[in-house]
Amino acid sequence: MNNFSLWKFSPLAVLLIFTAPLAIVLSSLFGQYTENWSHLYEFVLLDYVSSSFFLVIGVTVIVLIVGTLTAWIVTNYNFFGKGFFEWALILPLAIPPYILAYTFTGLFDTYGDANNLVRSLFNLDDRVTVFPNIRNIYGAIIVFGFTLYPYVYLVCRSAFINQSKSMKEAGKLLGLNESQVFFRLGIPLIRPALIGGLMLVIMETLSDFGAVDHFAVQTFTTGIFRTWYGLYDIQTAMQLASLLLITVGVFYMIERNSRSGIYSSSNSTFSPNYEIQLKGTKSSLAFLICFTPIFIGFLLPIIELILWAFEVNLAFFSKKFIENSLNTIGLSILTGLICAFLALFINFSVRLEPKSVIKRMSSLLSIGYAVPGLILAVGMVQLLIYLDSFTTKIDIVLTGSLVGLVTAYVIKTYALANSSIESGYERISFSIDDSSKLLGSNGWSMLSRIHAPLLKTSILTSVLLVMSDVVKELPATLILRPFNFETLAVSTYIYASEERMLQAAAPAIAIVLVGLIPIILLSKMIRSSRMVQKNV
Amino acid sequence: MSKPVLEIQTLSFSYKPDKLCLDNVNIKIEEGEKVSILGPSGCGKSTLLRLIAGFEKPQKGIIKLDDQEVFAENKFLPPHKRNVGLVVQEKALFPHLSIAENIGFGVRKSPHKKVIVNELLELFRIEDLKSKYPHEISGGEQQRVAFARSMAPSPKFLMLDEPFSALDEKLKETLYNDLLEIFLKKNFSVLLVTHDENEAKIMTDKQIKILDGRLS
Repeated sequence: MNNFSLWKFSPLAVLLIFTAPLAIVLSSLFGQYTENWSHLYEFVLLDYVSSSFFLVIGVTVIVLIVGTLTAWIVTNYNFFGKGFFEWALILPLAIPPYILAYTFTGLFDTYGDANNLVRSLFNLDDRVTVFPNIRNIYGAIIVFGFTLYPYVYLVCRSAFINQSKSMKEAGKLLGLNESQVFFRLGIPLIRPALIGGLMLVIMETLSDFGAVDHFAVQTFTTGIFRTWYGLYDIQTAMQLASLLLITVGVFYMIERNSRSGIYSSSNSTFSPNYEIQLKGTKSSLAFLICFTPIFIGFLLPIIELILWAFEVNLAFFSKKFIENSLNTIGLSILTGLICAFLALFINFSVRLEPKSVIKRMSSLLSIGYAVPGLILAVGMVQLLIYLDSFTTKIDIVLTGSLVGLVTAYVIKTYALANSSIESGYERISFSIDDSSKLLGSNGWSMLSRIHAPLLKTSILTSVLLVMSDVVKELPATLILRPFNFETLAVSTYIYASEERMLQAAAPAIAIVLVGLIPIILLSKMIRSSRMVQKNV
Repeated sequence: MSKPVLEIQTLSFSYKPDKLCLDNVNIKIEEGEKVSILGPSGCGKSTLLRLIAGFEKPQKGIIKLDDQEVFAENKFLPPHKRNVGLVVQEKALFPHLSIAENIGFGVRKSPHKKVIVNELLELFRIEDLKSKYPHEISGGEQQRVAFARSMAPSPKFLMLDEPFSALDEKLKETLYNDLLEIFLKKNFSVLLVTHDENEAKIMTDKQIKILDGRLS
């Protein structure tokens, strides 16, 4: 096989592996429908649909208000703490929704820390409950709203930065006040970007399992899990998963399309944004609006986790914790390296033949990011069972092995590695490739001698991004892990489901610390974009 | 009569099916000869160099290098086997390699690599820069390195795609003189693409004009 056919063939093989579990899940729609399906259809499917819908609407309202408002304030106004808020507003992204759900339960339950604190401060009776019950759909809405609003904040901030100062000035001359400029110019102009960010939030909400399971909210993901593990009916579980997959697919398409409609002010008349200095009450109000989501989505859970960890007096630092940490680190590094290698390899193939079908295939490979981990796990289990019918002949059993788990991780996180390496490639001029080819370096030689060294930072970033996502992944790990094999996410889930919150603190803190890696990278980008903005 | 280093016969090429970028082009360059192609932006002159280098495949025609067909019907020799040099306006130096490593890249498997690199460093008067990296030297120096790198594998002939357009007048003049001396010394055949008539006259023996993909 010559070099070029290898570059063409390999992305196709990767695409087949990536789409096989999804195809298996979708194919269940054309299979048999059992009695369990009829039961689900008659009694609970409507509940799944209505609670998922209500959840999505509630989360949408919160993320739209918090995300757009904070982005508008930090982009257009100068006030105390603005520099800090610009990047700190994305901190809640480091907290997976299920961890926020666990800490909120610990805080706001009848005998949770928040209620206890208020009771002791005001000397109230033990039966008095100040904060309402959080274990319901409203609690879930708050949890998702305050962990996912940064998706909207990020796209809005970036879109607001690109809005021209002269456009806003023209609006003011034509009679708009500050809030009208926001609602009638600011928001309509960023609508496509806003929709894109919102679709990401909706996909994440629909994909979640840990938080809705903890709050006992009946959604598609909890339904799939119960059908499989409660009724032991994988066929019906896959049929339910197909419905969710189609729904997520629709949001994915909307998100992709919204990117093409983003308005740009980068023309000759563009003049950069300006900041209005706020003082006194207005400055305090801006501070409060920006501080509140960080407090709810990041500081509060962190404080609670630290308190829990101190309460067990370092007893968490056991052999089991170290073992689970090593399992998690090992898996995340392995997945990070595989993803980075695949992304490098496929982007190089696209680079060699930019007009070919490989480029279209390459963008399809990123679809795994939108697929809920639970669905991926369902499809992967079926795929492994099918493959085992061949491999058992040579004494290899794939079901329940790490192969399925790592493959699912790779499919789910490939998009992160790809985006980093793709943007790295955009910075390498094609004339570098031309020179390399003329100087006798082609194929592997060009990849290893020229591209790989130039993409060092992008490769490292992609490994880190993938690692932080793998550490957080719960449903796929829960289903695909080998018997008795635990990761930090799994042990957090097990402790929390047994109401052993104090023990859940250590693995949860470890997950948050790893989750901070992409946040630090993102905040660096935000700070550098501010410098560019000031230098324009 | 000396033998042709480059021979192009009835070459046609288009990026889109309905619009020809190069139409029935014929060129012959003999050993040691320096030829320039003059024309405005977008007339197809850089495309011609990309076709000779093998970065694009023509729809029709024949390209011969040193009397060997590198493109014909059912024949295509990839760029790294054509042994031609190319210098472009943006230099395209490898940013992660030192100046000496950049120059030696094309002869990395040669046992004489060190000798070749040192000779070129001396020839282009850039010995002091050999341990530096591209971002640490000036634009004029970078262009000298790009020339030296393209000459290291002793190509059959050199193609220059607007290599002087990013330099100021004073730098250009010095480089013109140095290069003419080197071309003569090494007996290089050169195909220069430029929009600057004065530059074409200084650097080459023969000037050909190109307009809308046709040579005149």
